[in-house]
This record gives sequence, structure tokens and C-alpha cells, in this order.
Amino acid sequence: MRPVKTDPVLHELEKRVIYHANEMGRILPEIRFFILDRLEFASLLEKRVYPTSPVNIWEGKRMVTKKFKIESGQESSIYYEVVQTGNPSYAYLNNTNSAMMQASVMAHVVGHCEFSELNVLKDSNQDRTEYVMHLVRRVNIGQHQMGEKNYLEFWNACESALNLIAPHSQFNLNHSIKDDSYRYQEEETPIEEEKPKDLYRPFSHTMDTILSPLSVEEEWQKEQKKKDQQEQMSRKGYRLFRPCQDILGFLRHYAPTSSAEKSILDYMYVSHSTHDFVIRTQIMNEGWAMYWEKKIMLKLFEEKAVKGIIDYAKVFSGVCSPRPFFSRNPYHLGFALWNHIEKLFKEGKVNLDYLEETDKTKKDQWKKETGQDPLECMRHLVGSITDYEFLRRFLTEELVYEFHLNRIHKRQAEMIGINKDAIIKEENQWIWIDPAPVKQEMLSFFSHFHRPRIYLIDTDFLDSGLLLYHRDDKRALRKDWIKPTLKNVNFIWKGPVSLISNDQLFSYGSNIFSEKKIEAVPFEKVMERMAKSKKPFHE
Amino acid sequence: MQEDKIDSNESEGAFNDFIDDKLNDIVEDVLNDGDLDVLGDRGSDIIIEIDDIVPPTFTYGGEGEGQGGGNKGPGSDEGKLRFNVSFNRFMDLIAEKLSLPNLIKEGKGKIKEISYEFKTFGPTGVILDKKRTFKRALRTSIGTGRYAPSKNKFDVDFMRRDRRFKVPERVENPKYRAVVFYMGDISYSTHGKRLETEKRMVNFIKNWLDYNYGPNNVDHRFFVHDVKAYEVLESEFYQVGNIGGTRASIVFDLIYQIAFGEYDISSTNFYAFYFGDGEVFGSDSKDIIKILEESICPVFNRVGIVEIYPSQWSKLIFDLGNNFLNDSIVRLAKYTIKTDTIPVIKKLFAPVTQKA
Repeated sequence: MRPVKTDPVLHELEKRVIYHANEMGRILPEIRFFILDRLEFASLLEKRVYPTSPVNIWEGKRMVTKKFKIESGQESSIYYEVVQTGNPSYAYLNNTNSAMMQASVMAHVVGHCEFSELNVLKDSNQDRTEYVMHLVRRVNIGQHQMGEKNYLEFWNACESALNLIAPHSQFNLNHSIKDDSYRYQEEETPIEEEKPKDLYRPFSHTMDTILSPLSVEEEWQKEQKKKDQQEQMSRKGYRLFRPCQDILGFLRHYAPTSSAEKSILDYMYVSHSTHDFVIRTQIMNEGWAMYWEKKIMLKLFEEKAVKGIIDYAKVFSGVCSPRPFFSRNPYHLGFALWNHIEKLFKEGKVNLDYLEETDKTKKDQWKKETGQDPLECMRHLVGSITDYEFLRRFLTEELVYEFHLNRIHKRQAEMIGINKDAIIKEENQWIWIDPAPVKQEMLSFFSHFHRPRIYLIDTDFLDSGLLLYHRDDKRALRKDWIKPTLKNVNFIWKGPVSLISNDQLFSYGSNIFSEKKIEAVPFEKVMERMAKSKKPFHE
Repeated sequence: MQEDKIDSNESEGAFNDFIDDKLNDIVEDVLNDGDLDVLGDRGSDIIIEIDDIVPPTFTYGGEGEGQGGGNKGPGSDEGKLRFNVSFNRFMDLIAEKLSLPNLIKEGKGKIKEISYEFKTFGPTGVILDKKRTFKRALRTSIGTGRYAPSKNKFDVDFMRRDRRFKVPERVENPKYRAVVFYMGDISYSTHGKRLETEKRMVNFIKNWLDYNYGPNNVDHRFFVHDVKAYEVLESEFYQVGNIGGTRASIVFDLIYQIAFGEYDISSTNFYAFYFGDGEVFGSDSKDIIKILEESICPVFNRVGIVEIYPSQWSKLIFDLGNNFLNDSIVRLAKYTIKTDTIPVIKKLFAPVTQKA
């Protein structure tokens, strides 16, 4: 690994890319470029785009396989762009790429870095890479304290909880748990309804008692509830008042761990939590990066800083090639949508007048100056919405068709069993399906991300055990993995752990696994009971 | 950021250790079951297959019951991990597990086995090392100013003195020679699982001696007998004849003749292994004892006599027991069930002890 400064050609290109980005008014953090060889690149990806990582067999396994594939020619080692955003951002260039490709990677990185700075989920933070490197050092120290065997056991247990990270879920820690440390960065302040002011009246205990609508029983219950909550808070230091989807986040803060174990949890959580941001904003993010990459590259070609515009066009069209909706290409979809949105803003079509216009001819010929800068409006979108809203607001049936999201290769259609009634057009190799349900199907991805939704709903179940809840989506969990996963969570929590999945309750505690049939509890019921400070589930 | 090189060496090492543990388990299983078929062809790499390891998580999937591990590298899906393990590495592990000693090699150890490895680089030679040559040429061109990107000069001159060639280095290893005589009874009473067992034992012995002496330094020769004795190819060693009565002494006599007639006694290590049902007739046992004591024992490193699935009429080991019960050269063993494989091997190759 060497800094880009060591390569005069690339260093010059870097300066030109940053110059044009600044000229175009991009808001950028400090970006540091490094050049890596192919194996370093492969290793970096296995370390989740951080230069170091603690020892673990999983990375070793993936790397051994990858090395074998690269060396035997089964896998290409050319990676398009790899960047760890934050301030400073670290971007990595593959030394096997041509100068033109390196320039396009740098231009692409500019887009990602700006997106990270501006986005609504506030992805960018100070010294992220440095912080993770610090955590790696802490884990390494912890490894010596724990001893090899315990370290590996704990690490492997944590691997089981990696898909239980959800820092941006509406059921994240801040929305589900109250403790005495107050982490309210993401908490939405509820809008309080204005209540009519009570009229002042002279104090009279007798009158108050007569006028008060609360019965003695209700009064007692209210007091009792308050007392319970206070007791729970003082006993455990926290109180779960809503289902919590960020289970690893919970374990990181509240599991009874040693400092060495805590450092592993910290590393695991911090290095993996950016994935949640990526899946929620991938289309906007990649589209934004492609949009600015193209603009900057055209400038570079114009001033002859790089050569090979035809080659670039080939690469660009390859990266931005359309794919069907179920395997959408975020580069293509994002880039095409941002261009479409720019056009909408330019023609003044993002307003109520246009939407309420019923005359089709007028609508088709609509072109009104609004005085708004389209780029400024696009930047505002980056800072206010995620992919879900992006698609919901701007993806239309016409665009589904235009972007070929409803076009499927015949062989693939046969494999996934597309219903013949859904086919509206047939070509040599392709079929086109009805675009109407496509958008809804794409939006549904954002409710589950093709993963089971698991929540923590009780922290005092079966003798201080955790109770997890699998929100029913008509799909069963892989049954033979429930026991080892519960066992691993139990290893971290050091107490019993149970899981409700549909009409079954699985429990693991004291090395005993049990499974029993229960009456299914709907998620809404769980929410309702928790809101009333009641136990969400009784055996 | 101070990292000079990004790599996963430590994690790869941890994974290798994990696989080593698995390999040890496999060797343990192989030895416990006595199933030595995993050794495959002579001297070839061993392919080890283990269940793939995946951390278990809450994920969608079927209802099928499978193996999900606990905390130690848990979970396995349908996939398999396959590894090539070198023959020598595998035999190292087996030797370690069985506590087998390295065989005592006698003879002209001063004779060296010579090979050549490309380890050094020199200014003359046949195979040009392009990378090194280019590096030197580039350095020279920078020095002479022919390559100066700042002045828009990009020429690299290749001068004769910059050329670097791969130079073979002589590697010498002591060379010992060994010959192994495998003797088998092919009378019709030796059939079915007896033959299978013979095959398994012979396979292990071949691999063990190859491992100790080097595969090119061992002659493996196969002899069979019923009422006559003759040399056969290995493939014919496991074919059963249809003659009833047998005489084993003639095959011992034959290998002794060959050992003396075809090999230099002073520089060769001799091994002989006899496999049969132990059903001998008349004075056969006495003749064998005479040949062993007078001819074979003075020059052979080791002689193993194994009764495979002995019957009530088997008496070869019984007869030989009086003379060779705790002998350092002649080892007697009975193979009655499959799990006897390892004890029999241990007995055949156990270190030389003083005669009781």
C-alpha cells in the first residue's frame, strides 16, 4: 500500500479530479487515495474496507478461497472502486488499472464522499477508519487477556449476531431503550398536541377529589407503573419500552461483558454497522456517484488530462447496464433516476401544479421556469430521503419500462417461473412483464431487506433472559440454525435466550435447548402490550 | 495511517490452524476405524474433505435438520471444503499419532541423491529472470538519465551487465535404498475380506516405506505361493488361485534367493511381509523357522508375518512363537477384526528392542 503521491501520474490526476469537483461546487471531506496491489485489494475487502482487522478464521477462510481463485484465474482481481467514507475518507486504487480507469474511480469516489457527507442518515463521521484501527488494537490487547480459545469462542459467537444490526431502523436503540446515558441523536421529537389551558381555580382538596375522574384503582395503577419503571431502570440501568431491532447494539451496551469482550463487540458493531446505511441508500448513493463521475470525466477528457474516451464509454455502459427489478443494478437505476430528476426540476415538474394538471397535452409540453437550481434541489433530496422514498416518489410505470426493470431474459424467466399472464411483450431473448406491480415489489424490499426481522421484546424473560421475536412474514426460519444461533447469543448475554417464531417458542439456557408450541402473538399485540408497560408475552 | 502492507496472513494462519485441527481429527478417525483407504495412490496428495463452516444466523431456510455447530467455528451447510494435503504431511501426522519411529536406515548413506533447485540468480545462465533484469535495467537507465519522466524521457536500455539469470543450485540428500518383499498366500482359502485386509495392509506398508526412504528409493516386489512360489505384478497379488494345500516356506526361500542374488547386501535395507491364513501343513513351519534364522534374519531389517482372520487350523504364528516371540527382526501378528489394523501396524514397525 502506498499513497497516491508516490505515483506522479496518478497524483496529477487526483489533483485534477478534486479541482473539477470543487469547481462544480461539491461538498467534500478530505479524501486520501492509496494504491494497492491485487492481493492487498482482496484482503482490504475481506476486512470491510479497513486496513487492519483482528485475527479471525472467517476472514482467513474467505481470503484463502479468494487467493486460490485469483491465482487460478477463476476470479478477476479488478475491482471498480473501494472507499471508506467519513472524514477523512480513504479510497483505494488497484494498481492493475489503467490511468483512465483510475481517474474514473477517483471521480466516482468524489460522488460517494459527498453523498456520505450530505445524506439524511448522517453517515459521515470524524476519523472512522482511525477509530476502527484503534478498536482493532483494543481487540488485539483483549485477545491476550482472554486467551486464544476464549477469544475465538467469543468472536465466533458474535459472528452469529452480525445480521442483528439495525442502527437506522425505526426500532433502533434510541427508539426502544431508555437509560441514564441519553443517546438521542436519532430520536424524533414527538410533536405535542396543543392542549387547552386549564383554568386556575382555588385550591381545595375536597373539590379536587370530587372533580378528579380517576378512580382509586386507576390512581394506584398509575403510581405502580411509574414505580415499576423507576425500579427497572435503577436495577438494570435501562428499560426496553418498544421492540428493538438493533440487537447487537443492545448486547454491545448492556450485555455483562469483560472489557476484552466489549472491545470485540465494539469492533464488530462499528465495522459492520455501515452496511445498514448502504442497503438503505444504495440506489441513490451509486447513482449520485455515477452522475458526478460522468461529469468530472467529461471535463478530464475535454482538457486531455486522460485519454481513451471510447474505452471509458464501454466501461460506463457496462457498469450502467439494466437488469430486471429483482436483481436491480443500483448504478444503472440510480444514475438514470438522478438524470430523470434533474430533467424534472429543470422543466419545473416537481410541484403541485404539474401534478394536479389533468390536461395531457399541457402536461406533455410542460416547461416552466421555477427559479430553482436543479442541482440544489437534488442535493436537498440527498439530505432528506433514502432509497424507499426516492423510488416511491420518482419511479413511475413509464420509467420501469424505460429503465428495462420489467425486462427478463427468457431463460431466467423460465427458471423463476414467471406467470404467462404477466407477459406483455416478447422479443427474441427477452420477455417484458406488466410494469404496474414492479414498483410495489421493489418498495417491499425496504421493509425486510430479504432478511428475517428479529426484535428484542423482553429483557426479563425466564430469569433475566432475553426474548427475541421473529416478525411473521410467512417464511420459516432455517430450523437447524436456530439452536446454534440462540446458543451463541446466550454465550454473549450469559443468560437464557428465547425466540418466538410464529407459533413456536425456542429457548436456550444452561446448555439446554427447548422448543414448544405456543399461541402465535401478532407483532401489533407485542407493541401494544409494551406500550402499556406490560409483559409482551407470557408462557 | 501507518499500515504499510494490507494482508490477512494472521487470519489465514488461524484458519490453517483450524484446518490442522480438523485434519488431526480425520487422521484420528482413520486410525480408529483402521480405514487406510484414504491414502490413495502411491505418494500422491491426499484430498481431505470437511463440512464447510458458516456462522449460524437467523436466516430463512428449509425445515431440514442439519448440523449447526456451537461456538467453535459452527454451522455447516451443504457445501464442502476440500484441501490437498501432501503425502508427506499426512504421513507425518500418521506417524505422530501411531508413535511410529523413523526406520533405521542402513547402507551407503553417504551416497547423495542430487537435485537442482532454482534458488539463486547470476549474471550468466540459460533462464533469464525478466523481472530482475528489468529492475536492474530500469535502475541503470535512471542513473544514466535515459529514463527521466520529469524530462519526458521514457527509454529503458537493456545492457548485458543488467541481465540476471536463474541459476540452479545443487541440493544433496543422503540416499538409502530399500527393497520390500510382499508375500501372499493365494490358495482358495484366502479370499473375500482376507484379500481386502491384505490389500489395506500392503497399501499402508508401501506408503510408510516410501515416506521413510523416498518413493524412488524403494523396490516393492510381490510374491505369491500356493504349492509353488513365484513373483507377480502387484495387480495379480490379490488374485486367488484354486489350489487347496499350500507351502509357505518356498516363498521365504525364494525371496532370500532374490535378495542375495539381485541386491548388494551391504547397501540395501531389506523388508519382508507375509500375509496368509496361517494354515500350513507338515514341516512347513519348521522350514520357515530354519530359513528365517539361518538366512533372512542376519541381513533383513524387518520381517513381518501376519495371519489374516486365522481359523481353527491356523498354526503358523503358534509354531513360530517359540522362536520369535519377542524378536527384534521378526514380528508376528494376528489380524482378527477390522480394528486390529492399527495394533498390527504398530507391532510390525515398533522400535527394535533387545531380545528377551
